[in-house]
Amino acid sequence: MPANKKYLSTSNTQRFAKITAGFFGGYAVTVTLFMAIGFWLDHVNVLTTLRFGGFMLWATLFLLAFLFKNGWKAWGVYLLATVFFSAIIYISKIYHPII
Amino acid sequence: MSNRVYNILFHTHTISGIIISAALYVIFFAGSFSFFRDEIVGWERNEPVSEASRLQAVDLDIMLDTLAAQKELYGRDISFTKYFNERRINVNLSASKDTTASEEAKKRSFFYMDTDNFSTYTYASNYSIGEFLYRLHFFAQLNLWGTTGYILAGFVAFFFLFAIITGVLVHWKKIVSNFYVFRPMASLKNIWTDAHTALGIIGLPYQFVYAVTGACLIIGTSVMSPAVVNFMYDGDTNQLYEDFGFNPPKFKMANEHLLETPEINQFLEKATSKWEGFEVTTLQVFNYGDANMKVGLEGHTQYDLKFAGRGEIIYNVLTGDEEHVVNPFTETSYLDAATAVITQLHFGDYGGVPLKVIYFILGIVSCFVIISGVMIWLVARDKKHIAEKKRKFNAWLVWIYLAACLSLFPVTALTFVLVKVFLHDFGPERMTDIYHIFFYSWLAFAAFFVFKRDNYFTNKYSLISGALIGLLVPLANGIISGNWPWITFPAGYYHIFIIDVFWVLISITALTIGLSLKRKAAEKSPVKIRTNKSNVNKDVGADTLSVGDL
Repeated sequence: MPANKKYLSTSNTQRFAKITAGFFGGYAVTVTLFMAIGFWLDHVNVLTTLRFGGFMLWATLFLLAFLFKNGWKAWGVYLLATVFFSAIIYISKIYHPII
Repeated sequence: MSNRVYNILFHTHTISGIIISAALYVIFFAGSFSFFRDEIVGWERNEPVSEASRLQAVDLDIMLDTLAAQKELYGRDISFTKYFNERRINVNLSASKDTTASEEAKKRSFFYMDTDNFSTYTYASNYSIGEFLYRLHFFAQLNLWGTTGYILAGFVAFFFLFAIITGVLVHWKKIVSNFYVFRPMASLKNIWTDAHTALGIIGLPYQFVYAVTGACLIIGTSVMSPAVVNFMYDGDTNQLYEDFGFNPPKFKMANEHLLETPEINQFLEKATSKWEGFEVTTLQVFNYGDANMKVGLEGHTQYDLKFAGRGEIIYNVLTGDEEHVVNPFTETSYLDAATAVITQLHFGDYGGVPLKVIYFILGIVSCFVIISGVMIWLVARDKKHIAEKKRKFNAWLVWIYLAACLSLFPVTALTFVLVKVFLHDFGPERMTDIYHIFFYSWLAFAAFFVFKRDNYFTNKYSLISGALIGLLVPLANGIISGNWPWITFPAGYYHIFIIDVFWVLISITALTIGLSLKRKAAEKSPVKIRTNKSNVNKDVGADTLSVGDL
């Protein structure tokens, strides 16, 4: 009954890439996304949602990282998303700061 | 779902599950008992509380007078908090803000105070089995470096959430059809699989709520806030605290002694009569004895009137005016509502004892889901084509897992008995003593079961020994305190009564199950392998969850 190995990544670097992409990349995407939204909606409410909803999104992103054929592509996608949300944060801080 | 996706999800479910299984079992087991934390504490100290014990029923003026006789109170902020339904409440004294105060008055202090006889206790002397199990539930005892225990518990909850999501996705197509499948006469692997999936689905909403609220409560702030503080608040933690209402209000001293300190109880009465169904949990006195003295009250609505309602009033003591009001029935912010919903769902404190019983049963069911998951993992890998070395490793792993997890039941029962019989002092060594009783007996039981290397034996005798020791719990209590169930029930000492009856019921249940366990399957086993001490080593044939099915 164990999962059929033919569908699983066998190389250790691929495993490493997927696990780290899901864990760290997923975290970065989650936090930057909520922060970017937080500049434009009520930030206290958005950050409150991050405290519980963040874990749901993070777990989902963690899962999705395993579905990439190439783990480094997962890293690429998550990094791009993080950079994109970070850019929103950067710009929002200048034009629509919360403090 | 393609075969590829299915197998990947399946594999991540297996791996995340097996990694967290033992830790998660401890969390669920200790957490289930923690629903009865307050009852356990009342039972252990022989300090029954009435069902409706609240802060507004406490005479805070007498408590303040008692404190004033021992300590200089002028210029301090003093808070009384009733977190738990027990006789002792938390008292927190800030340092005096009076610049001319003595060195003694400039020391802050925290302790517990009995609301009946006003004796005080430190954290260690106030320690209890209830507190121990509650803290074991989030690994506070593993806070060896900073908050490592909390972080571990939090990530176990996070990976639990991950395992729930992957588990549901893997099981998705069979969610309805397999729900009705139960084959007790089939191979062990089918039994484990049926139990794992059916109970997993029954407990799904409960487990999902616990994974999310658990992660949120224990690491929500510590994991999510660093980035937010750095990039949104430019490192200004104070501003974040301000936004989220973590900073307690601060009031300047007038530096003018009041000739007579007004009564505090009147504010409790004022606040509770202002809103029908408002339960005060905290009363805080600011600038005690000073002309700028204030009294702040915090509380929530009775849960049957409004599920999530947090209220707050600050009174000016001299004029009696309300200076700040948050109406719990009409002005609940998203922040307060979310916090209240998360906490109450997690603590299961909104429906009285019947709800706690349901939550307890679901908690133990979750323990069973964890164990059956581990058993599927073992049985599915116990096959001829798997290398002998790997099978040995797997068998050892499961012997250790089961020994550590299942021995928690007798160990908990034993702790109740030994604490009742031997620990009558509320001295500073109480905490260490409870640690020793629990952890050494856990080590002994687990080592014994690992030594036996027999999962069937571990299962059967952990249940039977736990049941027999558990039956001693009400006996020990009756003999030591004289509070037998037939005395506590008519007297209305429900905390004590509930714990005695609770142990009788779970002991009878465990005994029935333990005695009816038969080593049937193992004897029929067609395949004997070298590690055949384990009773779960057969059935190469039937693959209920194999890829081919899909």
